[in-house]
Amino acid sequence: MNPSSLKSRFTTRFLRALTKINAHKPISSSSPGPGEIFQRYRRIKVAADKSMAYSVRSRRTWSRATLWRLRTRSPRSRLATHARRSWVKTRSTRAASHGKEKKEDGGTVEAEELRELVPGGEAMDLCNLLDETAHYIKCLTTQLDILDRQECTSREL
Amino acid sequence: MELNAGTGGNGSHKTASERDEVAALESLQFTDEIRRLMSAPGGDNASSFTALLELPAPQAVQLIQSPDSAKLIAAPAPAPAPAPAPNVDDFRGSFQFPFNCGLIDRAARFSVFAGDGNINGNNKSNSPEPTSYNSSASLQKPVKSEPAETESSQPLVSDPTVENRSVKRKDREKVKGSSKKSKTSAKESSDDAEKLPYVHVRARRGQATDSHSLAERARREKINARMKLLQDLVPGCSKISGTALVLDEIINHVQSLQRQVEFLSMRLAAVNPRIDFNLDSVFTAESGSLMDSNFSGMVIPMMWPEVQLNGNRQQYPQQLHLDAFQQPVSGREEVCNSYITPENSLLSYDSSGNSASLHSNQLKMEL
Repeated sequence: MNPSSLKSRFTTRFLRALTKINAHKPISSSSPGPGEIFQRYRRIKVAADKSMAYSVRSRRTWSRATLWRLRTRSPRSRLATHARRSWVKTRSTRAASHGKEKKEDGGTVEAEELRELVPGGEAMDLCNLLDETAHYIKCLTTQLDILDRQECTSREL
Repeated sequence: MELNAGTGGNGSHKTASERDEVAALESLQFTDEIRRLMSAPGGDNASSFTALLELPAPQAVQLIQSPDSAKLIAAPAPAPAPAPAPNVDDFRGSFQFPFNCGLIDRAARFSVFAGDGNINGNNKSNSPEPTSYNSSASLQKPVKSEPAETESSQPLVSDPTVENRSVKRKDREKVKGSSKKSKTSAKESSDDAEKLPYVHVRARRGQATDSHSLAERARREKINARMKLLQDLVPGCSKISGTALVLDEIINHVQSLQRQVEFLSMRLAAVNPRIDFNLDSVFTAESGSLMDSNFSGMVIPMMWPEVQLNGNRQQYPQQLHLDAFQQPVSGREEVCNSYITPENSLLSYDSSGNSASLHSNQLKMEL
């Protein structure tokens, strides 16, 4: 098993984050309320996304976008989102003029949807978008695999 | 389908080719008339193509020869809507045509002149044939993205309209094949471009040599290559032909993956509170037993190589974990049980003190 592969990097980070979450939460009663579960779920999901994005660092646009999104979720986000939106707009208009010269109806409709799905995909031309999508799918499947096994082991106990 | 019943092997070829054709055509930006024609009989792929084929034979043959193919296709457009069935019989009769000789000649001529029937339209002797390409010239660019999918296609020997389109596709395949050779030549020439002020690219047959179209072609090829990779990644996508449908599949796949992540993290959140409690209890129980046994004497000597063990510990539990993760999903249940202890040790490493972690080390040594 490659010690520095995406999978191992993600696993270490994610487990570390999980233990932190577990440690922070006081050991609640045997049946925690839905609100608590929801909070934990948010934290775990964020931990999963974050650890995946960190494992990829800034090599990929989607990881950068995810990290950026996670960092600026906080209340001080108004300035940040404004800046981000203007940046995205400039990039997307440039990409649009470059890539959508011929109005390929089928191509652009799906491309738009894909852009919404893949984080950071708004400001990319189709070529790079497809690249990012491939890497994103690969990372998502890794994430799913590890979450699955983690959940299984937890459940066994 | 009546066609299948009527013409046996030939018909089955045709319907398969019809479906491919229609799939390819649907994703193209064809002329408006064609689109209307496609949608006229009500959206079923095969039947919409039979609408096309319902042109009586002489008209179909004329299609190939005339430059205004669009006009001819538009003409029967209203016709198929009311009564698709009767025309098919007319056409079925024409299947017994000796297609091979005449149409293959025409195909040969097409392949020769398609090259010259430029997008710019500047050419040569047999004007009606190349100009028939001009009407579909706009096709050429988007269709080039399809040749990969439709490449393994139908025998050319079928009916005239299918012939027409398959001939065009074959030409583009030829061009695409030669385009690869000239791509490398273009690259080589661009390597020399540092010395020369201009890049001299040898013109391929029937391809414009603007820098714009070259760049566009390169871009399109890149996009096609990436689409192929994505098709391999996404399960069940390799059968689908057509960019739009493939993209749809990819979008669905990404959405489902994201939803699964949310779902699993929800489950983890629900399951986890129990885990904390259990793990701690399990761990303390084990450590207690270990303390009582002969390991107690080894605690102090173990403190000494702790530094090295730290490094080991980092990798070792992870390796065990990752070995667990490597196991096939079917064997997951059994694996889960055996790898609880490394899980324990990993968690305990973070949550408890030094001596506890040493014990976890010893546990691993045992394993």
